[in-house]
Amino acid sequence: MATESTLFEFEFDPGFRSSRLRIAWYGFIGVLLAGGAVAVYIRLTNGMRSTNLTSIVPWGSWVAFYIYFVGLSAGAFLVSTMANVFEVEGMHRIDRDALFAAIISMVVALLFVWIDLGRMDRMYFPFIWRQLTSALSWEVHAYVAYIGILVTELYFSMRIDLARIAERASGLRETFYAALTLGRDDTSEASRAFDQRWLKRAGIVGIPLAIFTVHGGTGVLFAVSKARPYWNSGLFPVIFVISALLSGTALVMMIYVLRTRLFDGESVDPDLLDRLAQLLIGFIIVDAALTAIEAFIPIASLHPHEIETWQVIMFGPMSWSFWWFMIGLSWVFPMVLLSKQSWRRTPSVMVLAGLSVVVGIIAVRFNIVIPAQILPVIEGLPHGSYFPTLVEWGSSIGIMAVGLLLYTLGAETLPLTPLGGDHE
Amino acid sequence: MSSTDDEALPGVPNVGRSDLDAMVDAETTDPREELAEVEADTDLGIEMAEDAKRVAHGELSGDEYWAKHDAAAAAEFGDAYRETPNPAVDASDQTVSAAAAESMQCTVGSMDAVAAESARTDEDGGIGAGDEKWGMVIDLQKCVGCDSCTVACKAENRTPSGVSYNVVMEEEHGEFPNTTRTNVPKPCMQCENPPCVQVCPVSATYKMDDGVVNIDYDRCIGCRYCMIACPYGARYFDFGENYDDEVDEAGEITSPEYGVDRGKREDGKSPIGNVRKCSFCTHRLERGEEPACVETCIGDARNMGDLDDPDSEVAAMADSNRAFQLKEDEGTDPNVYYLE
Repeated sequence: MATESTLFEFEFDPGFRSSRLRIAWYGFIGVLLAGGAVAVYIRLTNGMRSTNLTSIVPWGSWVAFYIYFVGLSAGAFLVSTMANVFEVEGMHRIDRDALFAAIISMVVALLFVWIDLGRMDRMYFPFIWRQLTSALSWEVHAYVAYIGILVTELYFSMRIDLARIAERASGLRETFYAALTLGRDDTSEASRAFDQRWLKRAGIVGIPLAIFTVHGGTGVLFAVSKARPYWNSGLFPVIFVISALLSGTALVMMIYVLRTRLFDGESVDPDLLDRLAQLLIGFIIVDAALTAIEAFIPIASLHPHEIETWQVIMFGPMSWSFWWFMIGLSWVFPMVLLSKQSWRRTPSVMVLAGLSVVVGIIAVRFNIVIPAQILPVIEGLPHGSYFPTLVEWGSSIGIMAVGLLLYTLGAETLPLTPLGGDHE
Repeated sequence: MSSTDDEALPGVPNVGRSDLDAMVDAETTDPREELAEVEADTDLGIEMAEDAKRVAHGELSGDEYWAKHDAAAAAEFGDAYRETPNPAVDASDQTVSAAAAESMQCTVGSMDAVAAESARTDEDGGIGAGDEKWGMVIDLQKCVGCDSCTVACKAENRTPSGVSYNVVMEEEHGEFPNTTRTNVPKPCMQCENPPCVQVCPVSATYKMDDGVVNIDYDRCIGCRYCMIACPYGARYFDFGENYDDEVDEAGEITSPEYGVDRGKREDGKSPIGNVRKCSFCTHRLERGEEPACVETCIGDARNMGDLDDPDSEVAAMADSNRAFQLKEDEGTDPNVYYLE
């Protein structure tokens, strides 16, 4: 056994296969970052005046993107637990991909929370002063604990490969990868088993954290607002979690195909792709069904405020986002692409399906945040209206570009694909 | 203008200067008669007043005036005189020299020092620590919908554009010509169970002992969750707008909300980037004054008082069968009552 590590055969050359594609991709991110930087500069110097938010619609695109990325993260994480906790066959391949995407999504989510604060300089105040009855106060702490769990998991999932790479590397590279192992450079089967055990334990802690506090909790944050009947329902946090699973699975599926093709230069495993695709079908059905129930109950109860809110969603000036993006891109279009088995095994079609869901769920998040603020809380007050400004769009794209950059840098340096066909 | 102007304008009374002076004389009270009504020495009063006129004309200096009268005033008024703030000390337009001011017998200090002392509330437990439970009762039968409460509130609290602690909701019911109109003035309800306090992640908004919901502008992070939670739309975000285009130096002075003087309004400085709302004019209540909206209401529709005091007018009104609260089924239990 002692010599096993030296016998272990692997090739480690992460990053883009094509250097032209690399340049094009970083160039693209650079353009987005530059535009975002201008928007963020205006936001910082002009303050919240640079938004289209008002005292009637105090929450807008940044909040929508914040819950979107929390959902993406929670969904991707839960997909990773299928490999490391539930040990679903063949899923190990996407474990690290899912975890790393979950971490980056959380970073992006917190950047959105940050830019949305009226006093950005006070972003650390929730860790100094608290309010036991505030869902938001609990959420902030849950996010930190959750990021801790994600990083711990990624570490245990990836450490043995980091140690293997450090062993073969020299100089700065060796120092870099050795540092990431946190000094645990053992590559024996025993150390591997130890990592697996702790990975599973962290995952077991992470599952309730992700479902109930991180994303369910984010749903609770809205659902407790009695003043907004549209959010004030018990089903609401559940839908939050389901739509998170939907977007997270779609993201992981997309990343799996793209990274395998463009970085590893390998062929996509059609069985794994089919498995992810079937998961996606299940989540689409549950998400659509629960949303229908959520809409049906208040409409059947003839609750005037909620009926009006649903009218705003379905027939209001922003109804295109409901029909085209929410219904079309996140449910109908991907469902069509997922309907045939041969398509489910075709990587390019599944990338399209994944992308469609990932984009469509953005509209789901906007349709959660905005419509509840359009109708006045008391009859006699003015109706709200909201569409993000260029500064809001620009800064949002910039923040997402930060996420893309971090993800790409990570994917170009870390062994996100288990080494040496070590798929288990 | 000449007093013998023959071409008087129509509608303008043709009076000369001597007529006006006579009117002033007729209106002026006899000082001796006036002073006789108080216990203090009438002769001393007349003498000090005559000398004060001389000071005003520059015939007598401030120092000479006080050298002449200080002892007599102290003898006449005793402790009351000695405890009076000396208006001549530390004032920018001081009429007496520092030495003369120092030698005077009113020793309690300058006007500024005394004012600062009386504004300090730390000794009695800080702002909002009163035993009262402040409540407002708004009689909708008396409200004429003139919006002067909204205007008085803006003037008093110097709220920026886009922030209005008080609004009057106006609704028309029925079809022409059989319409009725209801005006519902709406300040912050200062709820007994405030949803805004419940959701604030940093406890920046909280209920004070006197029932008023406070916002600590030094702690608020501007997340606006409280605005989402408020069922009355009573909260406003300060986007940093101002009235500089309408009024020169509009932000030079701010209102000492919740007893804190924040000086000039400046970008990046609280309350810009914070959530704001009506405080029942806490800074006025602490001085024993009514909120600006109550004081200004032309129909006397708004009433302020202690709901815990069973003898108070507001407690009686809040108990009447005309009384109701907005959105009673929310369970927030507002301390603003309406009379229908």
